[in-house]
Amino acid sequence: MMGETVKIRVDDRELEVQRGTLLIEACRAAGIEVPSFCYYPGLSLQAACRMCLVEIEKAPKLQTACTVPVTEGMIVRSNTEQVTQARRSMLEFLLGNHPLDCPVCDKGGECELQDMVFRYGASESRYGEAKRHVEEQQWSPVVYFDAPRCILCYRCVRVCDEGMGVGALSVVNRGVHTEIAPNHGDHLECEECGMCIDICPVGALTSGAYRYKARPWEMQYTSTICTHCGDGCKTTLSVRNNKILRGNNRDRSGINGEFLCIKGRYAYDFVEHPSRLRQPLIRRGRELVETTWEEAIGTVAAKWSEILARRNKAANNTLAETSEKRSEGFGVIGSNHTTNEENYLLQKFARTVLQTNHVDHHRTADYAALIHALANESAEQPSQAQRPPLARSKDIVGASAILLVGNNPTEQHPLIAWNIREACRLNGARLYIIHSRRIPLLRQSHRFLPLGLGHEADALRHLCGEPEATQALLGETPSGDNVTADLLNDFRNRLQEEKDVIVVFGDEITGPDVSLLIRMGSRLSGQTRYIALGDYSNSRGASDMGLLPHLLPGYRPVGDAAARAFFEDRWKSPIPATVGLSVDDMVAATLQGGMDALYVVGANPLKGRNPEDFCGKTFLVVQDLFLQETAQAADVVLPAASAYEKSGTVTNTCGELQRLRKAVGVLGTRTDLQIFASLAAAMGATLHPSQPEEALEEIRQMVPEYNIPLANVLAGGAEAVLNPNGFKPLAAPAETSGRVYSAQDTLFTSGTLGRFSNILNLVPERNIRKEPGPA
Amino acid sequence: MQFTPQLEDKLKKLMRNYPIKRSALIPMLLFAQDEQGFLSQETIAEIAGRLELTVPQVEETISYYSMLRKKPAGKYHLQVCTNISCLLRGGEELFEHARKKLRLAPGETTPDNLFSLEEVECIGACAWAPAIQVNYQFHHELTPERFDQLIRELERSRT
Amino acid sequence: MASILGGIVETVAALASGFKVTFRQMFRPTVTENYPDEAPNFQNRFRGLHVLQRDEAGLEKCVACFLCSAACPSNCIYIEAADNTAEQQISAGERYASVYNIDYNRCIFCGYCVEACPTDAITHGHEFELASYNVTDLIYRKERLLAQKTTTDQTAAGDPALSMPSGRNQSAS
Repeated sequence: MMGETVKIRVDDRELEVQRGTLLIEACRAAGIEVPSFCYYPGLSLQAACRMCLVEIEKAPKLQTACTVPVTEGMIVRSNTEQVTQARRSMLEFLLGNHPLDCPVCDKGGECELQDMVFRYGASESRYGEAKRHVEEQQWSPVVYFDAPRCILCYRCVRVCDEGMGVGALSVVNRGVHTEIAPNHGDHLECEECGMCIDICPVGALTSGAYRYKARPWEMQYTSTICTHCGDGCKTTLSVRNNKILRGNNRDRSGINGEFLCIKGRYAYDFVEHPSRLRQPLIRRGRELVETTWEEAIGTVAAKWSEILARRNKAANNTLAETSEKRSEGFGVIGSNHTTNEENYLLQKFARTVLQTNHVDHHRTADYAALIHALANESAEQPSQAQRPPLARSKDIVGASAILLVGNNPTEQHPLIAWNIREACRLNGARLYIIHSRRIPLLRQSHRFLPLGLGHEADALRHLCGEPEATQALLGETPSGDNVTADLLNDFRNRLQEEKDVIVVFGDEITGPDVSLLIRMGSRLSGQTRYIALGDYSNSRGASDMGLLPHLLPGYRPVGDAAARAFFEDRWKSPIPATVGLSVDDMVAATLQGGMDALYVVGANPLKGRNPEDFCGKTFLVVQDLFLQETAQAADVVLPAASAYEKSGTVTNTCGELQRLRKAVGVLGTRTDLQIFASLAAAMGATLHPSQPEEALEEIRQMVPEYNIPLANVLAGGAEAVLNPNGFKPLAAPAETSGRVYSAQDTLFTSGTLGRFSNILNLVPERNIRKEPGPA
Repeated sequence: MQFTPQLEDKLKKLMRNYPIKRSALIPMLLFAQDEQGFLSQETIAEIAGRLELTVPQVEETISYYSMLRKKPAGKYHLQVCTNISCLLRGGEELFEHARKKLRLAPGETTPDNLFSLEEVECIGACAWAPAIQVNYQFHHELTPERFDQLIRELERSRT
Repeated sequence: MASILGGIVETVAALASGFKVTFRQMFRPTVTENYPDEAPNFQNRFRGLHVLQRDEAGLEKCVACFLCSAACPSNCIYIEAADNTAEQQISAGERYASVYNIDYNRCIFCGYCVEACPTDAITHGHEFELASYNVTDLIYRKERLLAQKTTTDQTAAGDPALSMPSGRNQSAS
């Protein structure tokens, strides 16, 4: 949407820019240097630092380029003696109180003030007075504040208030005594996202985790994808001596720009947690003792081969089956954190080598239902199929309206929440919220439809125009809001008028409700796109890759002979045709002694249960980072590499494929891909491919949605995994009994992984915001 | 928190005066301070709530303006001007005298909560410099002697 | 006869001119140094083994800013930084070098590290006998590089390596 343009002249160069552009942006876009501290794209204007002063013809004094919008015929000079002099003087003022402790300052080497003084500053200062000294303060486990270093650009205050919507920082006092202050006197109570530290141009706000550990030029930088929530933020890990020292994303690459929450920025420390498994464990009697990889793999392979042989024999001898107690054979539970390649190979391993469809993972969003509902919808309305109905996370920023149904993105999906706030703040997007609680995003909301717990489907029916549902919504809600017919109708009418809506929904909408949601969405007057919110870094990928008892990769039903034949042909192995068991069913069957063997990869299905109850009930193999409940009940525990220790790809909750890159290695662990390959080899089977790149190639051949251009992904970008031509209708899948539920993680928990991050356990807010626990 | 009906009246009027709620912040704080002597945490929280601001935002404003205070001042709040006109006519000496006389540092209050002292910029009484302001009352062309007399009078008026 | 006399004169003249240098040098100061029997004599600016200096209070001058290792062309300086605490004040700044290694297999004694140091913590001493049968011995740790605590008393007993002259401050005599 190109608007009207104006012509301006900067340093004798003709520029044509959009009307309303800020002068500083116009200059920078043309490659003309205009330095600034306080100006920050996306934040409100401050004009506090006076570094961007330029000469504008007919203006009596120098003007701040960050607050002046361009106008037709404007003549600007940015390189005159007067401007140079102004910049030099401004820096001299700033350095009047700024301590010259660059050698100890953590910002040294990547400090904007250092760079500016080097580029524009005077070599000497005319100030002989003593500098003002204030002791450094610790505001939280992760935030330190050194007041004398602060140059009062107010970036931190603005990013906390406008960007994060928290407003924990403020500016107190006046003149030379001006200081940034935290919201609770001497400490902070906030989301501990660390955005203020990252955005600080000097070393005034420094990170408790990275404090005095290294200098920026000493480290290697590996940009990878955060392994915590499902948003798929890119985090650049700074590594020195095989140790991750910090995470940030200052180059603003990736879908998140520079945004990161506490988990992306600090919660990498689980990698070197002391209780990390570094050697395989094997059960001898009641004890799990350390063993070698050879013995562990050999034991598992021998036992599995034996079970497989017994089952084959039993299958051939039908008489035996009727007399013996029925057993379900192998069960495989996959992970929300492992890569697409690993998930693909795990289900391939299960379906071909172990000959079972008992493959599942903790489902946190009903992607399968969403994909099927969209496919059916596009079959009914071919015109809709032209547009990609799944939104990418950045699309939120550009949408004119957002409908949020359930979920609490501020806690569970920080990037989605950040994007929603940005859409409302920068583009005036209207936020409609349907929720049973008063969530923080209400501050940005345009219309709010409060409802009782579990009434989300009624709200959707109301929006579809069903009067009975409207009746069910009336009255007072548990959140204390009174729902009137006027409110309901107003909400529906307003939403109906929207031309471009992105519907964001959580685990409140699953199964048939998803179809209802799509039906509601397609009744809106304009374009409607969807985002389903799943909990973890590869929740979406696990579904896409067929870690499901009823679906093969790419959501092809296991009961569909044609789909099966396609995979059987390529995999050169038969695939069982019956729909398998869900996680809950497998756990229940194990307790009954009905599973021959259970293989749990990077998951903790026994969370909150007593491991003792499961010991000896089945042959349990667990492959994980830590000895959690499930691993404690295991017969063999295989230490796996975390997401920061391997390559591969993950798909975020919006369906964007991104690449993981190996940052560090932990001695004694192996990647899940390596473990699958060794297990298969020890069983005498071949499991191809064994490298992540080859696996991705096979995925691209087998799952059409993943057959997307890879150049961007390989270069560290994100690519949406859906066929841009929309969906082909799919056969309806067989019903399966699996539960879909979110773990309701807060900002300070991350499934069972969060238990092993010291930082997440250290911040006091963790105790204020209690983990609600699974619904 | 409950305000007196008189204050409530004033605040209501203020809320109507400004199209943007937060514009009413400073007058609201001033009225509240006039009535209560200082701005307590409860007052701050209440006003923040009414104007849809956060507590830190209100604290920012209070810390910026020296006329807004979070500690109780004395019954007589003495503001001594030391800006140019007063300075030229002995304002600085007057302030020093006041400090010694009342044994107070700027911003402090006497133990009997009778006097508090503050150095201020121009109070607009340049023609009668040096001037001081006691609460909202002006006292002009003061000398140390006349200052002492003023203090005696004020002390007497307490009883 | 004359030829014999002539021959003698010639020989004496030749000897005299030949010994002229010898005799002249006999009365000049000796320049040869009897290393290793006697200690060698260095110019002030000689770049020998590094010394990490302490300040007047005996605290380490190094604040682990990493500038020496950044300046080092042969990449032989390895540092790990840590926080000073109230109980354990190692350097005058907020942080200190918990590990400071110089790999003398690689060091080329160019002096860039000394140039780069903002706190004058690293200096060149005059020690130069580094030969070793084992390359790992050539990685010097902080304990080995650090100047002794009592900087005024150079004759203090202890490891002779620690009581070596401390670089710039020491005269060459």
